[in-house]
Amino acid sequence: MYFQGPKPCLSHTKYNVTRCHLPLKASTSYFHTATVFKSTPSLITVTEEPDTLFQKVSILVKCHDRAVLDSYELFATMAANELGITISKVYEPPKAIDRLTLLKSIHIFKKHRVQYEMRTHYRCIELSHLTGCTAQAYLEYVQRNLPEGVAMEVTKVQSTALLTYSK
Amino acid sequence: MATHTGKVILSLGRINVVGLGVKTTVSSVTYATALSTNRSARNEGRLDGQGKGPFSRKPKRLAKEPRTAEMSVEQDWTAVYPSAKPFRPNAVPLPVRMGYPVKRGVPPEKKGNLELIKIPNFLHLTPAAIKKHCQALKPFCTEWPSALDNDDKCDEHFPIKVTSTDYVSAGPSVRNPSARIVHLKVKLSSLNLDDHARKKIVKLVGERYCKRTDMLTITTNSCPLRKQNYDYAMYLLTVLYHESWKIEAWEAEKTVADMEEYSWEDSPSQKNIIDLLLRLKVAEGGEVEEEQELLKSGEVQEYKDSVTRLKNEAASESSTLQYKEAVKKVFNL
Repeated sequence: MYFQGPKPCLSHTKYNVTRCHLPLKASTSYFHTATVFKSTPSLITVTEEPDTLFQKVSILVKCHDRAVLDSYELFATMAANELGITISKVYEPPKAIDRLTLLKSIHIFKKHRVQYEMRTHYRCIELSHLTGCTAQAYLEYVQRNLPEGVAMEVTKVQSTALLTYSK
Repeated sequence: MATHTGKVILSLGRINVVGLGVKTTVSSVTYATALSTNRSARNEGRLDGQGKGPFSRKPKRLAKEPRTAEMSVEQDWTAVYPSAKPFRPNAVPLPVRMGYPVKRGVPPEKKGNLELIKIPNFLHLTPAAIKKHCQALKPFCTEWPSALDNDDKCDEHFPIKVTSTDYVSAGPSVRNPSARIVHLKVKLSSLNLDDHARKKIVKLVGERYCKRTDMLTITTNSCPLRKQNYDYAMYLLTVLYHESWKIEAWEAEKTVADMEEYSWEDSPSQKNIIDLLLRLKVAEGGEVEEEQELLKSGEVQEYKDSVTRLKNEAASESSTLQYKEAVKKVFNL
């Protein structure tokens, strides 16, 4: 009773976007041989399942190196612009430093210590108004190209409706 | 004596001849010329009889020109670095220097530089490559419906917001247990509730309702999978909605202490003021007025408004002033 069906209350047809189902094998062929793409029949299947709507997708990347995050931000924003995704905010939350003080020697010498620290730099890219297909394609692209030593958290806010309970 | 080898040795302009005590010679024409010069050079260099022992040195390859020398400016860089690969100084035509300089020196050059290999490079993600990739990804993307261009319309048609987080990191396991948590947010004003149902649902959810933003937040993390938590959250919302519409027998026993907000009808304040006004009238002149007429008079209504406002909202200067004015009017001061 709480599944989304095609919406009768919205009169514009553009809403009924259909979900694009990507067969796994196809993704590898596009990047290397452009000519093959043209000659093979279309590998995209279109289903009748209604698309999900994401009001906001927030990508937070963490790394020990700020320069790597700069380059990654450039890449992600350029990819979003190319795919026509609206970027609402790109900002840098302040870095977090974990400090550790240990004894320098293995035995005695309490007065002589050594200090280590771990710096975690952050970058946040907030995208708005994405469909499920676009989000899946963009996130997969961006996650496959995550460099070594970078972690990511993706927070998705999906808008749904319960027809039975709305006014 | 020419002997055939079992293996086919590919020639890229260099010869890779394994010379560990076994003399292998290839008799085909393409290899012959290079091989013969190598062999003669090798034999001349080894006059002290090192060539035949079990630990004879591998012949050194002739160093070629780095690939960067043959690269043109108009080349297709996406073919040089099609995917993520470590930094190769002979394949990148940039005069990059990296590292800490020694005293009175410069950062070390790119040849044999470990620092350049350690750091992740984005050579495979140049703007041209990104454009190519996005061209290939475009068919899989769908457009956002143009009628839902601002947030208000989105909220109007799709009032329920489901939030979940995905985690990507390197480690022994791909899974992150925090990924199963689902938050469901909905504004109660968008649900079909009447007065009784609204009060009941607020009582049922307790802390999950924020009065200031009129937002009900249901957070589920008790199931191991995200889909299960989502289904559970939807189930909870369904149950809350239906239960709030039902009227149970014991709800008739609701006392004044259970009420959410103050109502002036049948309250001690009403009884007191009516009583007071009746006694005043009796003491003054003797006109016995009906209770109903007293209640309908403007001053009593104003008094009622000011008392209700004082009790329901936090006490502020304006509300206390309003009460003072209303009291003065009632007693004609």
